[in-house]
Amino acid sequence: MGTINSAFSLISGALDADQSALSITANNVANANTPGYTEETPNWQQNQPIEINGGSYGDGVTETGATSLRDSVLVARLDQQQQLASASSARLTALDNVQALFTPDSGSISSKAGDIGSDITSFFSSFSSLEANPTNNALRQQVLSTATTLAGDISNAAASLNSQRSGLDQEAAGVTSQVNSLTKAISQLNLQIQSTSPNADAGTLEDQRNEDISQLSKLIGINQITTENNGLSITTTTGQLLVSEGSSLQLTTGMVGGVTDFFLGGTDITSQLTTGGGELGGYLTARDTDIPSVLSSLDQLAYNVSTNVNALNNTGTDLDGVTGTVANPLYIFNQPAPGAVAGSAASMSVVMTDPNQIAAAGLGQGTGDNTNAVAMANLANSSIVNGQTPTDYYSSFVSTLGATVSGVQAENTAQNASVTQLQTQNDALSSVNLNDEASAMTTLERSYQAASQVFAMLNTIMASALNLGDQTAVS
Amino acid sequence: MRVDPNYISNLVSSLDQSQANEQQLTAELSSGVSITSLSQNPVASGENVLLLNQIQQDDTFTQSSSLVTGQLQVADSTLGSVVSQLTQAISLATSANNGTMNSSDVQSIGNQISGILNEVQSLANTNYQGQYIFAGGQTSTTPFTTSTATSPAVTTYQGDEDVNYLHTPNGQKIQLNVPGDQIFSASGSNSVFGALNNLVADYSSGKVNTAQAVTDTEALGTALNYVSQQRVTIDNSITQLTAASDAVTSDQTQLTSAQTNLMQADVAQVATQLSLSETQRTALEDVIAQLDSTSNSLFSKLPI
Repeated sequence: MGTINSAFSLISGALDADQSALSITANNVANANTPGYTEETPNWQQNQPIEINGGSYGDGVTETGATSLRDSVLVARLDQQQQLASASSARLTALDNVQALFTPDSGSISSKAGDIGSDITSFFSSFSSLEANPTNNALRQQVLSTATTLAGDISNAAASLNSQRSGLDQEAAGVTSQVNSLTKAISQLNLQIQSTSPNADAGTLEDQRNEDISQLSKLIGINQITTENNGLSITTTTGQLLVSEGSSLQLTTGMVGGVTDFFLGGTDITSQLTTGGGELGGYLTARDTDIPSVLSSLDQLAYNVSTNVNALNNTGTDLDGVTGTVANPLYIFNQPAPGAVAGSAASMSVVMTDPNQIAAAGLGQGTGDNTNAVAMANLANSSIVNGQTPTDYYSSFVSTLGATVSGVQAENTAQNASVTQLQTQNDALSSVNLNDEASAMTTLERSYQAASQVFAMLNTIMASALNLGDQTAVS
Repeated sequence: MRVDPNYISNLVSSLDQSQANEQQLTAELSSGVSITSLSQNPVASGENVLLLNQIQQDDTFTQSSSLVTGQLQVADSTLGSVVSQLTQAISLATSANNGTMNSSDVQSIGNQISGILNEVQSLANTNYQGQYIFAGGQTSTTPFTTSTATSPAVTTYQGDEDVNYLHTPNGQKIQLNVPGDQIFSASGSNSVFGALNNLVADYSSGKVNTAQAVTDTEALGTALNYVSQQRVTIDNSITQLTAASDAVTSDQTQLTSAQTNLMQADVAQVATQLSLSETQRTALEDVIAQLDSTSNSLFSKLPI
């Protein structure tokens, strides 16, 4: 049979339980905006009933601690998707900068400035104009000035691309220290979690570890492997170990061939990181694939235009009746070394200063002849750049670049949508919902009030019991 | 069912997107250009490069054609003058050949024809913007010089046989010049200078060898016809040039309109999109304002 005393003990236990549940709610509200915090719910446990004389009496409630509302699969999916989205975001930003160098010419005068497509046309058109009057100084000057514009715009674009590339290189290198501090933090959290909570969710520590992993996922592509005692190993997506439970390996950088390469324990893992994902993957893809491909297209254009125009000009007769020789060539553009395509865009420039040296006349012809000017104008319609005319080549170049950027845009939009969706699912489960907390507060408050009332009434009842009906002795 | 308590942040990102959209549309409206970066429409960007290339080629041809039209017209009118000079020489020679003139009259006709010879030579040495137009490719050398060391005097051609062509954007070749020797000192009886020099020699002494003079006069007539034939080449070029220039101009108009359609913003459409986007943004802002106010939290309803 239960006693008033047991009722006292039972209800004071309820008050304790309500208090600790209230403190969990208060903690939830306090951490509502803490990044990575996972909402906690109190664990209520009914106390073991007491058997007295065959009757079973409840023995109240205990609050045994908080449980984090977490779905590890969802968290891992979110991290994975985040790696892809970060990679495409970083790549997109880089590509946006690249395509800004090739803004389409809308046809207006101002939009022509810096447009390589218009420059190519203007340059070859200047030879068409020269056909009409091959000895005209103004028309000859026009050839040199359009050549200067073309060479200037191509070499400027190449210089900008190179500086964008080294900017990306620095950003990529800057990621390393963040990665290293995160992997170190994760390895330390691993140790704490393994020692304090080897078999169950480690609550706040787990929150911190997940938050660090989520930060790491934004930076590089990783795989997580759960080990015994709630430990965790992290590798790159291609399997190089970054964190092994309590220890972490430092990512180091070094210059290889003019760019930063990334090493893990002495092994160069740059190419693995490039395809791995995360910001670093995006930076490296832009640095090692996208920008070099744009640069090499420009190099092809610059090399083939320079060498073909130079070769023709060198075989004609200039206004002074001179034909170029090996020792004294009549070159309009800086002549690239044979076959040295790489870097020709950056080094493209006009070396001719005297417009009289433009060889409009054919070999052995009088200076009034225009055969060579016709031949040079015809280069515009000849397949001199990788089997295409210069304009066709530039046109397919901008289309390809535009398609690449637009492809990455679409990819990024889809991945961001997927991240948002997963984030929403995860937030729905794990984020602190203030309305829920308000409702929990009210419930607990009521329950605490009720328990207090019961306590007060038990007190009165106890007084009655002690006084045995005499109301005056104990109140 | 649990919901994402941070849904407002999703709304805010929608708001950002809507604002970015408005910014893009406003930029299109203010610049009048619908494609401001390659990725907006890669295919159109590539097409645009080709169209602009053709438009500019057409434009260059139009400019060149007006430049060479001037030169061809100078050549044409020069040959016109040559024809009238030669006609006059023939009529002078014919009157000298009828045997009624005394020797001083014949000499005077010889002097007049000599004058015509000089005039024709200076016409043959015509230059346009400092370049001799009947010199083939040797446009900086005086093409015709006469040596009086012998009788009859000899006029020699210093130019060459070079012919320049102007190429239209669609590949048509238009002849820009006729080498001077083809017009003035062609072989056989077609040589203008040969015939004129012979006539001058015929009449210089005052005594006319009528048979020789008649032959030489006939030769001049043949040469005159030959000059007229060569003039037709120049006239043809002018006609071709005008036709090509017209064709190119109409081609350019079409290309420009295609390029405009491709690149220019459709103002009505953009304005409609902008208005839709504005409506959406206002709605989003209202929703956020409604949801974001603290009075919507259950906490605000709790008794304190």
